Parts: sequence; structure tokens; C-alpha cells
Amino acid sequence: MNMSVVGKSVKRVDTLGKVTGLARYAGDLSLPGMLHAKIKRSNIAHASIKQIDVSKARALPGVKAVLTHQDVPRVLHYGSPHPRSASVTKDQYILDNKVRYWGEGVAAVAAISEEIAEEALDLIEVEYEKLPAAFTVEQALCPDAPLIHDTSPGGNLVMDPVIVTRGDIERGFAEADLIIEGEFKGGRPTPAYMEPNVCLCQWDGNGKLTVWISTQAPFMVRGVIAEVLGLPLNNVRVLVDHMGGGFGAKQDLFQNEFLCVLLARESKRPVRMELSRKETFLSGRSRHPVHVWLKQGFKKDGTITARQALLTFNSGAYGSHAPGVTGVSTASLTSLYRCENVHLEGRAVYTNTPIAGAFRGYGCVQSYYPLDIQMDEAAERLGIDPAELKLRNAVRGDDIAPSGHAVTGHGLEDCIRRGMAEVKWSEVRAQAHETSGAIRYGWGMGCEMHGSSAYPGIKEQGNAIVKMNEDGTVTLVTGTTGLGTGAHTALAQIVAEELGVKFEDVGVVHGDTDVTPWDIGAFASHTTFMGGRAAQMAAAEVKKQLLERAAERLEAAPGDLDIADGMISVKGVPGYQISVREAIAPRLGLPAAHLVGTASYHPTKSYSFAAHFVQVKVDTKTGQIEVVKVVPVHEIGRTIHPVAAAGQIEGGIQQGIGHTLTEDYVIDTTDGHSLNPSFVDYKMPLSMDMPPIHTIIIETAPNPGGPFGAKGIAEDPIIAIGPAIANAVYHAIGVRFHHYPITPEQVLDGLRKKNEAAPRPGIAA
Amino acid sequence: MRRFDYFEPQTLDEAVALLSRYNGTANVLAGGTDLLVEIKEQIRKPDHVINIKKIPGMNRLTFDPVAGLNFGSLVTAREIETSPDVRRDYSGLAQAASEVGSIQVRNRATIVGNICRASPSADTLPPLIADGAIVTVFSEGDERRVALEDFFVGPGRTVLRPNEIVTAVELPAVTPHSASIYIKHGRRKAMELATVGVAVSLTLEGAVCRRIRIVLGAVAPTPIRAKKAEALAQGHALDEDLIEAAAQTAMDESRPISNIRGSAAYRREMVRVLTARAIRQAQECVQ
Repeated sequence: MNMSVVGKSVKRVDTLGKVTGLARYAGDLSLPGMLHAKIKRSNIAHASIKQIDVSKARALPGVKAVLTHQDVPRVLHYGSPHPRSASVTKDQYILDNKVRYWGEGVAAVAAISEEIAEEALDLIEVEYEKLPAAFTVEQALCPDAPLIHDTSPGGNLVMDPVIVTRGDIERGFAEADLIIEGEFKGGRPTPAYMEPNVCLCQWDGNGKLTVWISTQAPFMVRGVIAEVLGLPLNNVRVLVDHMGGGFGAKQDLFQNEFLCVLLARESKRPVRMELSRKETFLSGRSRHPVHVWLKQGFKKDGTITARQALLTFNSGAYGSHAPGVTGVSTASLTSLYRCENVHLEGRAVYTNTPIAGAFRGYGCVQSYYPLDIQMDEAAERLGIDPAELKLRNAVRGDDIAPSGHAVTGHGLEDCIRRGMAEVKWSEVRAQAHETSGAIRYGWGMGCEMHGSSAYPGIKEQGNAIVKMNEDGTVTLVTGTTGLGTGAHTALAQIVAEELGVKFEDVGVVHGDTDVTPWDIGAFASHTTFMGGRAAQMAAAEVKKQLLERAAERLEAAPGDLDIADGMISVKGVPGYQISVREAIAPRLGLPAAHLVGTASYHPTKSYSFAAHFVQVKVDTKTGQIEVVKVVPVHEIGRTIHPVAAAGQIEGGIQQGIGHTLTEDYVIDTTDGHSLNPSFVDYKMPLSMDMPPIHTIIIETAPNPGGPFGAKGIAEDPIIAIGPAIANAVYHAIGVRFHHYPITPEQVLDGLRKKNEAAPRPGIAA
Repeated sequence: MRRFDYFEPQTLDEAVALLSRYNGTANVLAGGTDLLVEIKEQIRKPDHVINIKKIPGMNRLTFDPVAGLNFGSLVTAREIETSPDVRRDYSGLAQAASEVGSIQVRNRATIVGNICRASPSADTLPPLIADGAIVTVFSEGDERRVALEDFFVGPGRTVLRPNEIVTAVELPAVTPHSASIYIKHGRRKAMELATVGVAVSLTLEGAVCRRIRIVLGAVAPTPIRAKKAEALAQGHALDEDLIEAAAQTAMDESRPISNIRGSAAYRREMVRVLTARAIRQAQECVQ
């Protein structure tokens, strides 16, 4: 297909605003008479609130409103408001008479300054009755464990276990020449978005609420606030312009939105509430810590005969996305590497620790890390090159994907082959490693696949309105949210391409629930895939109307017309053309044509694929691991904006390196308090730590459901990097790690144990 | 940020008079890169903040081949890091200064601030001690000189009295065949607090170690000199066995704690590994 806008790295629509500082984020806003709100947080992990005395806080000059659980509606709500889905759990109150984790909000104050609000927090006296607590999954699963919620199914399970079965694993294991099993553990990385959660709420004189907020899902925020407060949807307006990241976590509600809304109602003033960085740790959302037991059977030729797994997720104090993450993660193990016989069980468990939620990679980080590492282990035992073993087993066209759909094309195989060629895999793997001195080098690779759209977990719908103005320019009205990734630029490119107009002639209106079509929210790597497809369909509708109008002028059938670069021409008649502007413009005293296209798109699922190739350097005296080079190969169907797509990949790799080597939000398992709720001791890799990344994007398996064949890219890059690093570390030092993050201290311990141990047994079978 | 009274004294006398008046309830503000963060995070709650940046003369940096290096309290980490004199003769200090926070932070943060903050993990303290730094302490009508080695009492605690202020740091001129090295150990390459910091200042006479200072950071309540390790090396030819023995001794002298940044055992091990590396690097620099 010959593209003129799609596939070009056009200047992003938000560039100037952002580089000049004029782009307005929710936290930049200020209204006359605005109050500042703060949340009083628990300093105990599990307790009943016996008494809460706010009289001194209320009496402090400058304090305008104080709320406790006695002052707010007692309505159970979903911590994350996916509509009618099985992804989330209804187990939260705005404020409860109990606290279930250290740092949970117990009261809120609005005052004329942040300082006074903070001072008022210190004046609130809370009397807790301490309850027995469970800080680990093991503790929470004990028969006599304290129950954190009294909801079904009980036993501190967030929901009934997810069971995925196919074929016959007993037969599969019986047919195996080699059986490997192992246990794996994943830590607690947090998204650490640049912009802390913030909202500003205002009620007008007629009872209408406006909320400016940093959220990925404004319509979901509107829905849940309306539901909890009993308001009609047209009395709640949610506005999101620019955002400083979300990474999935900002699909949730964090108590502060409700409290800000209610403080504004109570005080009859606009109220602003911004979480501190510390609060984004305490009350934010992390990836679910996980424990995975995984067992696979292999034939001598590498064919996988059976796969069995038990995944246990730590949900923290509330359910949030535990059902969704558990479902996606468990089902993901049916695929990536083909296997006919699987039996997989996933569980999610409440503990008295901070809440885990949605986070880029949504369960697949936790499942593909063990799976890919175990493939590496199997390869060694079978005497097959690990990349070759993964290639032989790679999921491919017509295989059934985790969603139940048939996979399109051979994307994963293409990624593996391209990466192997690019890094000269067999050469770098065979290279003799320097064995004297402290430094060792190694190469590893890992694979992943990830779905665009949350189907079938959620039945999704993308909507768009495209209008053509009388000068031929175009306005796309979309409910999709821009997290900072350039989504609206991609959507504008798609509209321009479909309509045959210049990119600069397409403007985007977004971020206002009163104006834009309904949108489910920006998550599940679906904004370009689904929102883009809806925009393309709406643009096609406008194009049809435009060509009908132009056909009269050109005295030709609409089907014989074509639009390119803003000109409408008759196919096969060179030079016989009018501009788009002429076609729509007012004429003979009549106003311009009213050209509006709307579209709704119900996607199913598409999968993107990647293979990451990584070189690491290990200092065997300090245990420090350095990622030296990364070659990520991604298959995404069709690239809309190459620079933005590469940016997603590089950013995902940065986060993935952090997950694997340095990032872990650590909870003290004696009392549940956080040991590193700040950027001093929560260590993300920074620009200085980043290795060169040689990104390769291929387009060999386009999906007919996406715009021009495009699939998602947002979540994929964070998944394969982890096992690739762990496998490279093994190649470098011969020590196998089954967990993340891998710390220098553990590297030294591993080396010590390896040196103490007898030589490893030979290949089994 | 919590409210405090703010002062901008124009002279040293004025500054110490304020310190005297608010006996212990005032904090001195220079770069502010630690102080302001700690006030915002309510770690410190000073009632009075005394900004010394308006006092003239405290931002000078001088070097003399005989007298050595001398710099005032307002000299920033970035100035130290980029000074050709420091980079040539006090390369451990230059290296340490270059590892404090980010460039933005280093453009504001002062070395004397790093000293007075007295963090056990502060990067610039081990090389300063290794190079024999002496600080000038000023109070009402009085001035005293304190060896930096004797300046620290505990985490965040120094021998400074409430009405005293550090005005300058001096480092003796280096003798020929000398080198100084600082190795910082952390989880990432920048914006990091040291898990372990090792400074070695070495003077050789041929292969023989004529003078050595080994100073360890982040492994005791204050930066500490590994005096037994120094004694082991001093006066002997630094061969591989001796280096390993000195490193082992330095490890035995360290008294680290376990925390989120590393266990005590790991920190001790790193003292051994990094002390050996620092001595070897210093050796290479001299030769």
C-alpha cells in the first residue's frame, strides 16, 4: 500500500505546547477560591478505626472541610471502573471504618493552603484497634489467616481460581523425553509515572460537577463517580488534556478523586488534590508480585508435550485488577511457545500490603519471564540452541492465541530469525568468554507476544467522530486519552491517510467527556489499534460524503474519484481535479456541506510479537550486572509513526531493565510499612544507565482488524527484555536466576554456590 | 513546605550572631540541595533558616603548588569537579564530586554542605579525608582548624557547635608520585547514594608505599580511615598479596549496617573488593 502520511514520523501535534511549557496538565490548573486537599493516611496495616477525632483539625484557621468514613457515602465500588467486566473487583469504600494496608486514607482535609491542610492532618486523632495481619501470600493462605475482606470466595482469595485446560497433560508428560520444573518469583515494580496523581474538582451552582484529572480512563472516572454519588452522567464532566504517564496504573481510582469531589461539595469551593511522590508509592498501584510453579515436558527434538503451571499473585489490600491480570497471565501460558496439552491455574490473594493493579504488560511480564527462562534451561538440557528451540516452538499462523482467536501470520518466527541474523547469534553465543579477570560477557534472548485490546476479558468499543470544515481541514473528535505517547498524533495520521489530506490539516479534539464520543480508556495497547480503526472508519464515512459532493462538480461517478494530498481527481484523467476545499466550500450562496462521519468499532484481538536480544556484562567480584546492548525486534503489523513506535520500545526496555535488575518496592513483612517509597531508594535506570538500543520494527503480519493493518506496541517492549537479561546472565556466568530483580548480592551468592557445588549433571534423557 | 523565618546575613559575624541567637533551632542554607528537600519532606523542621550565600568571599577557590588547595563554603561540587587543579592533583575528590546527584544538583550543592550534612555515605568525604583535608571553623570572634578526619561524630552529627560555621577547606599540596582514587559502589551510574565508597590516596617511592590513606564511606556511622590496612601497606612494596591483605584488613575494620541498599555482609565484601581495586588503580596512576 502506498502511504503518504502513515509510516512517516510527522511532528507530533503536542510538541510545541510541551517544549514551550504551555501545555496544560491537570496539576497546572488553578481556579479562584481554590482549596488544597490532603489525605490522612494510616500508620498501621490492618486495623479497625475505633474512633476518629477531627475536631482540632476542623478548628484550625484556614481549614474548610474535613471528611472521615462517617461523612462519605458508604458505597462499595470497583477500585478500577472497567464497565461490567470480570477484570476488577468491587471491594472498596471511599473511606472505610477499617484499614487494610499501611498508608490507606482514613480522612481528608481541604484548606486554604497545602501547608494548613498538612498541619490539620497532624491534628486528626485516630484510635485504631489493631487486627492480625497477613503481609505475605503464604501468611494469607494459612487456614487460620485473618480475613482481609469478608467477600467470596473466602480464604483471602480475590476470586475463584482461573483454570485453563487444553488437551491432556498426563499423556503429554508421559510422552516427554525431558521434564523440567521450576519455581519463579517476581518482585513488586511500580510504574513510577512522572506526573503524580492529581485532580481538581468544582461544582457549579446547578449541581454539575467538573473534574480535571490525570487518568487514562476519563469516561470510567465519570461513570464510577456518578454511580457512587448517584448523579446522572450528564452532570459529571471529566477533563483530561495532557498526561505525564500512566502505564496502566492510572486506570484505577485512588481514593483521592472521590475525596476531592466530596470536599469540593462540602466546602462549596473548587478543591485541588495532588499526591506527593511518596503517596504515589503508598497508595499507588504496583505490578502484582508473583510466585510461579512451572513444569514442561519436551521431546528430544524440542517439541513441547505438556505444560503445567500454578501462578499465585499478591493483590495487596484490594482486588483492583487482580481478576484481569490473573486471567490474562494464566491464559498467556497457553501460547508463545506451542503446546497442545496445558493445565494452568491462577490465583490472586489479598494481603495487608499496598495494592497491585494494572501495569504495562498486564500479567504477561509475570508469566513469560518463567516460561522463557525455562525454555532456555530446556535448550541446554536438550543440546539445542535456545533461540533455535524457541523458533521451533514459536506460535504461528492459525494457532489458537490466549484469547481463543487464531493467530495471524508468522510474526514471532520473523522476529527471532531477524534478531539472530542481526546480532550474528550463533557467533556471539559461541564466542569463548574471557575466563580470567572479574568481568564476564554473555548474550541471551527472550520472546513475547501481547494482545491489542482487552478482548475477551472486556468487550470493547472504539468510537470516533470526524468532521470536515468548510476550508477542507478536518477535526477528529476522540475520547481516547493521550498518556504522553503520541496517540493523538497517530490517530490524526490515520485520518489524514484515509481522507487523502495533509497531516497538518487534521486537528484533534479530545479529553472532555461532555464533548467527545464515549471511550473505554487508554489501556490494553489498543488506542491506535481500536481508537485508530474507529477514526479511520469515521474518516472513510466523510470521504464517501465528500466524494459524492465532488462527483457532481466533476461530473463523474463517486467511485471513479480519488483523493490524494488534498486534491480530488478522476481516476485515469490526469489534471482533471478540484481541491478538497473547493469540493466542500460554500458555493452559489449556499453554506458549506455538513460533512460528519461517525463510527463505532468492536475489535476482537490482534497479537504483536517481539524477540529481544541482549548482551550483558557481569562483574563477578561485585555482582553488578550491566546491560551492554539490546537489539529488540518487534512485529507490529503496520507502523504509524516510526519514531513514536521506537520510543515506546526504548521506554519499555528501560522499564524492563529496571524490573529485572534494580526496581523493587519493598514492604516490611513484619508490619507492612514501605521501606522505599521514594526515588532515593526505588531505583529506576536513568539515561546514564541505558545501553545502546538497536531497534528493529518489522511489518510482516498485519492484522486486518487494525488501521492499515496496525497492531499495538505499548506493552510489548517491557516483556521480553526480562528473560533475555536473565538468560544472558546465565550465558555469562553459568548462574540461573528464577526471580526479578536480580541484585548484585544475589549474583555473588549464586557464584559462590556454583563454585561450591559439584559439576552440574549431564544432559538428561 | 512548613513555614520558617528566613535570614540573609551579609557578613560572617552576622551569620554566627544569628546562629547564637537561635541556638540550635536554625539551619544554615548554602546549596540547599539536602536541606530544602528535608524540610519539604518534614525530616527537618527548622524554625530559622540562615542563607549564607550573600556573604562575600566564600566562593573563592585557590590553588598554590606549595600551599595546596583552598576553597570557601560556597564552592559547588561542580566547580570542584571541573577545576583543572583538582582534577590533576586531587582526582579522587574530583571523581567523588562528579558522582554527587546530577549536574543540576552539583551546580548548587556545595562541598562544605556535603561535609556539614555529615551523611555516612557522602561521596566527597572519603577522598577529602584521604587527602588530609582541614576545615576552618568560625564562630563569634574566633576561628579554629579541625582535621576533617576528626570532624564527624555520627550520622548527621559533627563537632560543630550551634554557633559555629565552616568557612573553608584546605588540602595540602600533593607530593610527587602520588595519586588519589575514589570508587563509588551503587546500583546505577548516577543519581545514586553510595552503598560503599572507598577512597585511596597513595604516594609511592619506587614500588614502595610511602604514604597511604584508605577511607571508607557508608560502612560506619561516619566515614572511617582503615588505619590497620594503611599500616599494613605503609613502607612495603605493594604486591598483589599485600594489596589483598590490606583490602581484607580494611574489610575487617568496616562496621556496616544492613538496609535496603545492601546487607552488612555484602557491604563488607565490597570494601574488600573495592579497596583492592582502588589501591591498584592508584598504583597505576602513579606509575
